[in-house]
Amino acid sequence: MGRYIIRRSLQAIPLLLLLSIFMFLLIHALPGGPEQVIFNPHLDAAGRAALRARFGLDQPLPVQYLVWLRNCLVGDFGYSFATNQAVSAVIAQRFPATLQLFGISLLVALVLAIFLGVISAIRQNSPLDYTVTTISYFGLAMPAFLLGLFLQDIFAVQLHWLPVSGTTSLGYTFDPFNAFLDHLLHLVLPVTALSVLFVAGWSRYMRSSMIETTKQDYMRTARAKGVSPTSRLVRHALRNAVIPLITVVAIDFGAIAGGATITEGIFAWPGMGTLFLDSLQSRDFPVLLAILLLSGFFVVLFNLIADVLYGVMDPRIRYS
Amino acid sequence: MDVPGQINITPSEEEIEELLELTPALVQKRRSQVRIIFDRFIRNRAALVGAAYLILLFFFCFLGPTISGHNQPDVIHPADASQAPILKYPFGTDDVGRDQFARAMAGGQVSLLVGLTSMLAAIIFGIGIGSLAGYYGGIVDNLLMRLTDVVLAVPLYLLLFVLSATFSDGSPRSVIFLIAIFGWTYAARLVRGEYLALKEREYVLAARTIGARNFRIMFRHMLPNAAGPIIVNATLLVGANIILESVLSYFGFGLHPPTSSWGNMISDGQALYELAPWLVFAPGLLIFVTVLSFNLVGDGLRDALDPYMTER
Repeated sequence: MGRYIIRRSLQAIPLLLLLSIFMFLLIHALPGGPEQVIFNPHLDAAGRAALRARFGLDQPLPVQYLVWLRNCLVGDFGYSFATNQAVSAVIAQRFPATLQLFGISLLVALVLAIFLGVISAIRQNSPLDYTVTTISYFGLAMPAFLLGLFLQDIFAVQLHWLPVSGTTSLGYTFDPFNAFLDHLLHLVLPVTALSVLFVAGWSRYMRSSMIETTKQDYMRTARAKGVSPTSRLVRHALRNAVIPLITVVAIDFGAIAGGATITEGIFAWPGMGTLFLDSLQSRDFPVLLAILLLSGFFVVLFNLIADVLYGVMDPRIRYS
Repeated sequence: MDVPGQINITPSEEEIEELLELTPALVQKRRSQVRIIFDRFIRNRAALVGAAYLILLFFFCFLGPTISGHNQPDVIHPADASQAPILKYPFGTDDVGRDQFARAMAGGQVSLLVGLTSMLAAIIFGIGIGSLAGYYGGIVDNLLMRLTDVVLAVPLYLLLFVLSATFSDGSPRSVIFLIAIFGWTYAARLVRGEYLALKEREYVLAARTIGARNFRIMFRHMLPNAAGPIIVNATLLVGANIILESVLSYFGFGLHPPTSSWGNMISDGQALYELAPWLVFAPGLLIFVTVLSFNLVGDGLRDALDPYMTER
């Protein structure tokens, strides 16, 4: 098991290196290159030469890459153009909010998808199955921002059941319990908007995976042995049926990140997504590229975790 | 050929027909592969509805302006601004008085065009890379799949936003290019998987034995057999691309005015949502039903193709 983990980790490293090269080339592929972005256009030739030397832009490209890579590994992503703060500080400030939204949405989507997929599968072709499948189709066809807009309009603006945007309402500073409840209420709409798409896709996948699993011979053996239906469902079928789902979730991880950005934009959630959108408007490239690099890193990391999980749950993979 | 002692008992055409008439229950009219798949597709009602809607949508977007007379999406009618849907303006007008019905049709043309063209480009590119990776295997496969992994590693929306903010000029061409550049990865993976499996078939060995060149084997022999999943993926990709383009346009990174697309219309209408909800509902509903139809057709194709493949 340990060897499997080490093997997969080693395979991930060249991927991360390639990713960093890709990002670095992106900076230099921007029209005009980094100079265009940093320098004051009114600078004269001597000033430009001085700035170029200071930023190390006169070095050959591979050297620049290595310097940039070393800085990134240490955590120094440069300074934001808009606020002149260190990029790492800006991102660290916004990270918890996004982690909250992302993590809770992922969990909710997984639980709901597995639940819906399983009940669809065991009650195949029933009205319940048809309802779930139809809702899945609807969820897959709805663009995320549209769903967010409609949810916001119906539940927040028209019905006043839930808050419109942000993470907190005013007036709860001295009351931690109510502040916590209020925060939960603020989470409901963004999490719903973000997870619907993935619940739709994953539940359909779970359904077909579950149907395939229940057709296997070992399920028939379990039933012949007299294993109870619940135990058959949970211990035998479910454990095997979720394994392919891990792959799908890993593939969709990047999509969740993109969806989180859009959802944060619509609900004014103060996380990395809104930071990203604001930086796009102000062309704040250090922040943008740091976010891209970090997201790429997390996607690779998550894929690695998913592979390890796959190995944990399916011993055949470990020993191949 | 005359072999001594062999009796030639091959029946003639008329005799074959007479024999067939004797056993009508066993006669199965020979259908082509395409016909078999088509018949299976027709049996799926949801897919049929989706396909019908798409055909109607194409007529609506491309023939609609000429037939219905609403062919001026950019002309403003200040006197009729912010009208709710009435007979003269079936989708209403926006705050400067543009006919939303005409805009919906023009936007539909653009959205559909962008979706289809980017899908074609992505599929062609994906087939190219996937077939090379799957057929040659080894180091070529390794390198190409690593490349695919790198492109897949960065979240799509984030990368697209950054690239379109810096490079795009808001024309359909740049948007198509951007979407296609990242849409090929799934198709490449799919094609590679298919080719890895098909590589072991006898006809590939036979073709190689008689001296067929590699490219000929890949595209003349293996590709038609791998076509099923590719077609399904292509159909679903159009829906995904339409959504992608609308998201880009909504955030201002896709098509810029005056080119109107459904995403543009939603972002324009969003500001006036309280007073004029039809401005958002019309393009939103259109996007939703269109993507839904593409998904239904894609799933119908998948069901029509798969059982056929395993039947053989």
